[in-house]
Amino acid sequence: MAIANLHDFLFTFFKANHCDILENRGDKLSIQLTDKMDEYLLNRPFYWQYVKKLGLQGEPGKITLLTNPLLDDEEGEPIHFGSPRLQQIFRLLDEEGKFVRLYQMVQVDQQTALVPWLVLNIKVSFIGKQKKEAIKSIGINMINGGMINNIIDQLEKIQWDTKIPDFCYNLSPLIRLKSSYQRIIQLIEKELQETEHDWAIESWRHMEEEKKLLDYFYQTDKKDYTALYKKESEAIEALYRPQIAISIINGGIFHMTQSTSLNQLLD
Amino acid sequence: MQIDLKRDVDFIEKLDQKVKDDGSFSSWELFHLSYQASVNNLTTDFKGLRSPTLLPHVTFLTHQLECAEQVLDDMNGRAILADEVGLGKTIEAGLILKEYMLRGLVKKALILVPASLVNQWAMELTQKFYIPVTTSRKRPVWDQDNIMITSIDTAKRQQHKDIILEQNYDFVLVDEAHKLKNHQTKNYQFIRALQKKYCLLLTATPIQNKLSDIFNLVSILKPGYLGDYQTFTEKFGKNHKTLEHDAHLKQLIQKVMVRNRREDTGIDWTKRNVETVWIDFTAEEREAYNNLKEITEQSSHFAAITYLRELCSSREACYVSIKKNLLQENKENKEDYAAFLKCIEKLPNHSKALKVVELIQSMNDKCIIFTEYRATQVYLQWILQQNGITSVPFRGGFKRGKKDWMRQLFQEKAQVLIATEAGGEGINLQFCNNMINYDLPWNPMRLEQRIGRIHRYGQTEDVNIYNFAIKDTIEDHILRLLYEKIQLFQRVVGNLDAILSDLQLTNIETEVEKIFQESKTDGEIKIKIDNLSAVISNAQDYYEQEEQHGNRESS
Repeated sequence: MAIANLHDFLFTFFKANHCDILENRGDKLSIQLTDKMDEYLLNRPFYWQYVKKLGLQGEPGKITLLTNPLLDDEEGEPIHFGSPRLQQIFRLLDEEGKFVRLYQMVQVDQQTALVPWLVLNIKVSFIGKQKKEAIKSIGINMINGGMINNIIDQLEKIQWDTKIPDFCYNLSPLIRLKSSYQRIIQLIEKELQETEHDWAIESWRHMEEEKKLLDYFYQTDKKDYTALYKKESEAIEALYRPQIAISIINGGIFHMTQSTSLNQLLD
Repeated sequence: MQIDLKRDVDFIEKLDQKVKDDGSFSSWELFHLSYQASVNNLTTDFKGLRSPTLLPHVTFLTHQLECAEQVLDDMNGRAILADEVGLGKTIEAGLILKEYMLRGLVKKALILVPASLVNQWAMELTQKFYIPVTTSRKRPVWDQDNIMITSIDTAKRQQHKDIILEQNYDFVLVDEAHKLKNHQTKNYQFIRALQKKYCLLLTATPIQNKLSDIFNLVSILKPGYLGDYQTFTEKFGKNHKTLEHDAHLKQLIQKVMVRNRREDTGIDWTKRNVETVWIDFTAEEREAYNNLKEITEQSSHFAAITYLRELCSSREACYVSIKKNLLQENKENKEDYAAFLKCIEKLPNHSKALKVVELIQSMNDKCIIFTEYRATQVYLQWILQQNGITSVPFRGGFKRGKKDWMRQLFQEKAQVLIATEAGGEGINLQFCNNMINYDLPWNPMRLEQRIGRIHRYGQTEDVNIYNFAIKDTIEDHILRLLYEKIQLFQRVVGNLDAILSDLQLTNIETEVEKIFQESKTDGEIKIKIDNLSAVISNAQDYYEQEEQHGNRESS
């Protein structure tokens, strides 16, 4: 699921980063930053260097974001999809939200076993003349090796905590972490091999065509142009040679009760 | 064919290490936000734009969307946008920039536009595209991630230049890029030296003169793409006609250039009504005109013709300029001129100015008046005010802020904007659809620019253009023999400058002046101007045929 409402997204983001929200209207958000967020968002490294060197208490800044870009407010900073500030926040999230180890929040009064799942959100990029991307969210049960697609949709329905709940204990994985990872990747690669890649054929054809045009232009006896020709030819390869890249957006281990674990597979 | 596969090697190692070290992990919220952001930034389709759905308040035209898609999908963000004037190149550029920003591919951009257009660009990008921009004011900051709008002249100043050249830009845009056609200029070398990933060059006239123009533009985008300069010129010479005849070259250029013409856009352009308003001099004015003509015929000074033109515009314009010249030099027929000045001092209001008042009172709508002369501008403002008509002046020499202010005053308060020639460039006045050419420039290009101010994309009304000319004067010749013959008012704005430079007629004004100066009789003037317009008109026909030929070939 993509971001449905930018304002709510930002609110959750600053809350999750332990910032106080000073003002929250439908189109305006004022935030008291923490030291860490100030360092990251406000771009004043010298200030923080100085503060740390002298062992002082830093004074983190405030930020006001206007989620309606047409709002005329002198103090606020308009934020919209594509704006540098939002890109900066997305980049921070890339690092901040990368690795998890989470436990299902349950209230139990007897010993309860939790099943470990490795969950990976994976981006597959098809890069040629153009670029296309797809996201896969795959989970593998580290006890029995069962795998499911779009696991994120299921995880969204459950409450998670970074600490293991009382009376719960972790089952030890039978499939090691790295093997679990490999199984997911192999699944994706197998799928890729079974797909027709018209885009790649098209891109390859385009590459050949561009090279032909280049040849036509360098039909000259003078040897001085060989270096230039080579450079251009390489640039064409770099631009059009088809490539598939698999990268992990984020992921980690989710410990869940056996019944949740079973439901995952049944859904 | 072979597809390379690139795997992620980092993630699992790091995760494994973290588990072993019992390190710190993210919360569910941050994990989930990060996933959402990734979905949001995903390019789910090989083709297609994402910004139109995010910008529902803007209606994009089909050719603008297609242009943006073509640049993004086929040209990898390095292109010449060469639509004809008024088709919305700014919109196309804005769309492309926004798409790249949405995909997270552009964070730092440099937008180089004429100084007079800096504010207009800033307004369009913020209001239409929600792109936060910075304009270079007193102390521009170059070394941050931002979308900076400035002029080439500011950017290449010594105190800025070095730091700008150190920056790594994701996106560089140059408006009015035809000014870069000469690779020996400082501007050209500056643009070439910028470190840039994506690059857009905007111009309505990609080939102004010779094929090497396009070679130089393309070399900014893809150095070496058309080979080297020497080989290129050897192969294609300097004649521009070859472009249509060399399929290979054409194909290459089509891969880096988008050019839409009005007729291809499929949009209903509002109509352009052109009316010539003929005016008779009063007996007194006629006498003064003939009098001046006699004096000027005695000397071949080039200013002599100017005096006649000025008298057709206003007594004031003529007076100021004769007076200035008389003071400066020791002139022949000084006494004659002095006597003439005495005589025109007594003239009542100019017939043409009275006609303007009459016309504006009858139209009861906003109107732009263009004149060639400052003195006429002042005089017109005065006479309009005498008749209870509000007006604001506009000159090229105004500072940026004053220009914006005048434009706004015109839009909100005044009925009339009186502009001198230099004001013709660089502001868009689509909210007005009446234009009076109070006097005609002798360079058809400038007339095209005037019309382009109001008859452009965004104009919703039919455009009325009134050309004022006084019968049996120098104006009469120009209008009948030059403008009507080349059908400037009927033809769509576009390739005239290319045609003129093709004919080596870049300075048509001097050409016409020469004709007036060197001809002994009115008959001779007529024949010569007639010949001149015939040449232009033929070239126009030829050009249009070529373009049709070219279009067929490309489709």
